[in-house]
Amino acid sequence: MKTDSFLSVSRESIAYFVIIASFALLGFRLIQMQIIEHSAYDEKAANNAIKGIEQIPLRGVFYDRNMNVLVNNTPAYTVRITPAEYDTTLNKLLEVVLDVEPGYIDKVLFGNRTFSKFVPIRIKRGIDFKAVSWLEENTASLPGVDLVVEMQRGYPAGIRGSHMFGYSKEISPALLEKEKNYYKPGDLIGSSGVEKAYEKILRGKKGYTYVLVDSRRKEIGRFKNGAEDAPSIKGNDLVLGIDSDVQRVAEQELSGKNGSAVAIVPKTGEILAYASAPDYNLGAFSYSTSKDYLQKLNTDPEKPFFNRVNSSPKPPGSTFKIMEAIAALNMGVIDTNYIIVCRGGQVFGGRFFKCDAVHGPLNVIHAIEHSCDVFFYNLIYKIGMDNWTEYARRFGFGQYTHIDIGEESPGFIPTGASYEKIYGENWPRSIMASLGIGQGEVNVTPIQLAQYVALLANDGVTYTPHIVKGYLTNDSSRKFIPFSYKEINIGISKKIFSIAKEGMFLVVNGNGTAAASKSADVQIAGKTGTAQNPHGKDHALFIGFAPADNPQIAVAVIIENVGFGATWAAPIAKKMIEAYLLKDKLKKQEKNTEKIISNNLIGAVIAH
Amino acid sequence: MRIDYKLNDKFDMGLVIPAFLLFCIGLAAIYSSTLHNPHATGNFNKQLLFGIASVILFFVTYSLPTNIFRTLAVPSYIFSLLLLMVVLIIGRRVSGAKAWLGMAGFGFQPSELAKLGTVMILAAFLSRKNSAIDSFKDILIAVLLGFIPIILVLAEPDLGSSFVFIALIIVMLFWKGISLFGLFVVLSPAILAVSSLFGIYYFISGLVLVIISLFIFRKDIFFSASIFAINLAVGFFTSYMLMALRQHQQTRIRSFINPSADPLGAGYNAIQAKVAIGSGGLWGKGFLAGSQTQLQFIPEQWTDFIYCVIGEEFGFFGTIITLGLFLYLFIRVLKLACTAKNEFLSLTLIGILSIYFIHFIVNVGMVVGIMPVIGIPLPFVSYGGSSLIVSMLMLGIAANVYRTRKNYT
Repeated sequence: MKTDSFLSVSRESIAYFVIIASFALLGFRLIQMQIIEHSAYDEKAANNAIKGIEQIPLRGVFYDRNMNVLVNNTPAYTVRITPAEYDTTLNKLLEVVLDVEPGYIDKVLFGNRTFSKFVPIRIKRGIDFKAVSWLEENTASLPGVDLVVEMQRGYPAGIRGSHMFGYSKEISPALLEKEKNYYKPGDLIGSSGVEKAYEKILRGKKGYTYVLVDSRRKEIGRFKNGAEDAPSIKGNDLVLGIDSDVQRVAEQELSGKNGSAVAIVPKTGEILAYASAPDYNLGAFSYSTSKDYLQKLNTDPEKPFFNRVNSSPKPPGSTFKIMEAIAALNMGVIDTNYIIVCRGGQVFGGRFFKCDAVHGPLNVIHAIEHSCDVFFYNLIYKIGMDNWTEYARRFGFGQYTHIDIGEESPGFIPTGASYEKIYGENWPRSIMASLGIGQGEVNVTPIQLAQYVALLANDGVTYTPHIVKGYLTNDSSRKFIPFSYKEINIGISKKIFSIAKEGMFLVVNGNGTAAASKSADVQIAGKTGTAQNPHGKDHALFIGFAPADNPQIAVAVIIENVGFGATWAAPIAKKMIEAYLLKDKLKKQEKNTEKIISNNLIGAVIAH
Repeated sequence: MRIDYKLNDKFDMGLVIPAFLLFCIGLAAIYSSTLHNPHATGNFNKQLLFGIASVILFFVTYSLPTNIFRTLAVPSYIFSLLLLMVVLIIGRRVSGAKAWLGMAGFGFQPSELAKLGTVMILAAFLSRKNSAIDSFKDILIAVLLGFIPIILVLAEPDLGSSFVFIALIIVMLFWKGISLFGLFVVLSPAILAVSSLFGIYYFISGLVLVIISLFIFRKDIFFSASIFAINLAVGFFTSYMLMALRQHQQTRIRSFINPSADPLGAGYNAIQAKVAIGSGGLWGKGFLAGSQTQLQFIPEQWTDFIYCVIGEEFGFFGTIITLGLFLYLFIRVLKLACTAKNEFLSLTLIGILSIYFIHFIVNVGMVVGIMPVIGIPLPFVSYGGSSLIVSMLMLGIAANVYRTRKNYT
């Protein structure tokens, strides 16, 4: 038959050779895949079939300094859609039920699409009760739509704390790119305030439950009955320096106004109250905001999202006089015997600078008491421009306080050089007279003022102002672990502070500018300020601390566009101080009032 | 002559037993891979039915007088070409290719039958009395006979089957005794066609090799030039065909060149197939216990990717036994081809062997990742009536040749 040869080999042999060589090749390949590289393929097969489902941990809770819960977690409903089972003609109906703009569902589905249509996509969190009950009633006619319970923030203390607590929102694509080791699309991340600054402590650790999935990623059962599951670890609870009572008073008093109020423990820098007005309702805002509310907030000309405490620099007005008094005393350019006679005004550089009244002869203490402008016009020339700038900076102005939350403005403290730049070497020195009373180019933020008054109260020593004191461990001991903050010591003697503080005491308790805000139960020391505002009414300021001889609380209040500091800011500070120092007394009073009311009611009922 | 009454004398167990065992392994794998697929749960029963039908056809073929095959060569070739044309007009389109004829609820792929038809016409043509294998004319006619069905299956388009045709033409010419130069003339366009798929540089290198070879053979200049022209034309034709191919076939070819480039797209099947086989290990994960198979990571695993099921659930043990059965069967057919009593039968058997072998090597090579993903079934094992019936029909011819091997004609 086939005996003829091909290249001197028989064709038969070539055929045998081709067949056997092919089988050898396949055999070696199978040995390589199934025996040598088996474990690598095995791992790939396991990864294919097993899917880890993230278990989002509970976020840490916020406590105030007395361990009252400020922010916690409450269950809320989230609507999800599984694209493979969902009929997009339901979009219009669902958009009405969920109170979202038309096209919202398509946008979310497109934005979160994956290669599997069996993975549910979160449409909206925190839907309201009405929508939940409608969805549950109509579940049969809504294929692919389901409700799951997820946690959202609750605010049980009745404190708004909008700028302080902050909120979480779904992570942005830009941030996700940077943080993709931990976060996945759709994850929540602290976006402002404490929620943002302490995100890594609050978020805890994600857990995983493992399920078997088929090639379309559809779940078909637990993996090893949950033996490999890793539970999520709750985030750490934070303890804030906030005092709920003081915070509540601050928020009530600021309501309807534009401004800030900050209370601080002078010795430690712990913030007792932190309020910026106008604010917004975090409860209505968190995770899912009705489009009306969001629009209202965004278009409000008063900018409720704006954190005035950290970021709204204003001229400090007469509150700056204390700093100047201390600077002059510390430099030795004046002492308590140094007298200036106020005649209701004085001319500097050809310009007349007036005073609020004709104060006559005053020393530094009474100049503070009466907030005499003429005294401080003269004083700044004695201090000199460069020293004035240096002392302002020593008290923390013109630079970041490094408060633990939020973005911050450094404010502005002018220097001689900055004026030289504008006006040349012979810049008009009359400018300094304005600076002497805290007007002109000088700008400070409320948080800087709070730090300033803490320094005054505690004789030049305090700590970086901070909202959060520390955190609690997650184990059963719930040990408190404090955060450490930087000490600030401006290195000026107690004696000098005591002179300034005497003046501040008289402001409230003598014949001073804030005598109307004298408290019957606690000795408050303070200083009013009224900052001229070229755009409208003056800004009212007050800084103060109490008790005057052993300060436990220091307060800074700014109310914008209202008028005198004594009229508008000092009463608020007084209420905040009383809320803190007279806590027990006020509580008792409250109870008594309740009793009286109920007695009267009983009486009324009986009389009837 | 003493008549040997032993069964083995008339009935070649060496052909039938491997085929039967392969069919059984295939049944188990089909059962396993379709168990959780609601669209394919009937496939096990259907395959059993095809099995019975093909056994009947096997015995019919086995019992026919051996001489009839030569008589049937021309009619079966023309009949299968007619079917290939009919399928282009009224065929059913399944996953992109218009390759199926509907018949009483079952689909049939004429291309499977056409492979056998082409083998028979080539065997008849090459074994005619005055054939001269080294004449240019004979080679040209043989290649043309094979090219008609290639054009028709490419029009479906069925890339896998066209490879089978190319392979069987070359194998049969080789078996007939083509010279090295003749083989070069036939083979070089095929190699150039494949190399052009890989890109322009491969194509140009192929052309350079052709020129060098032409110098070595030292044929006259006119002849060499025309061979070079044919090569060039084939290369351009292939690139043109590639562009005319459906998107999924183009990407399959590209994904073979770089499978990880698109792991969720065209390379997906290739990667998942390797994972299935590799994760099976030495002894496999056990029947019905392969995660890749049971969780359906490979689409339609019961057809072209059936070897993955064996590899995953029965491990190296299963894959090597399957290889062994094929090897035994192929050697058996090859031996039969060597000892067949006339040239027509020898060529037919070698053609049949080449059909089996090219299906086997492309299919297994594909799932172990040394060949591109080309949709082509594994004979006797894959689910599918057309493939099984034609495979058994061809086995019937081989068994027939064995039955009458001692008869004189």
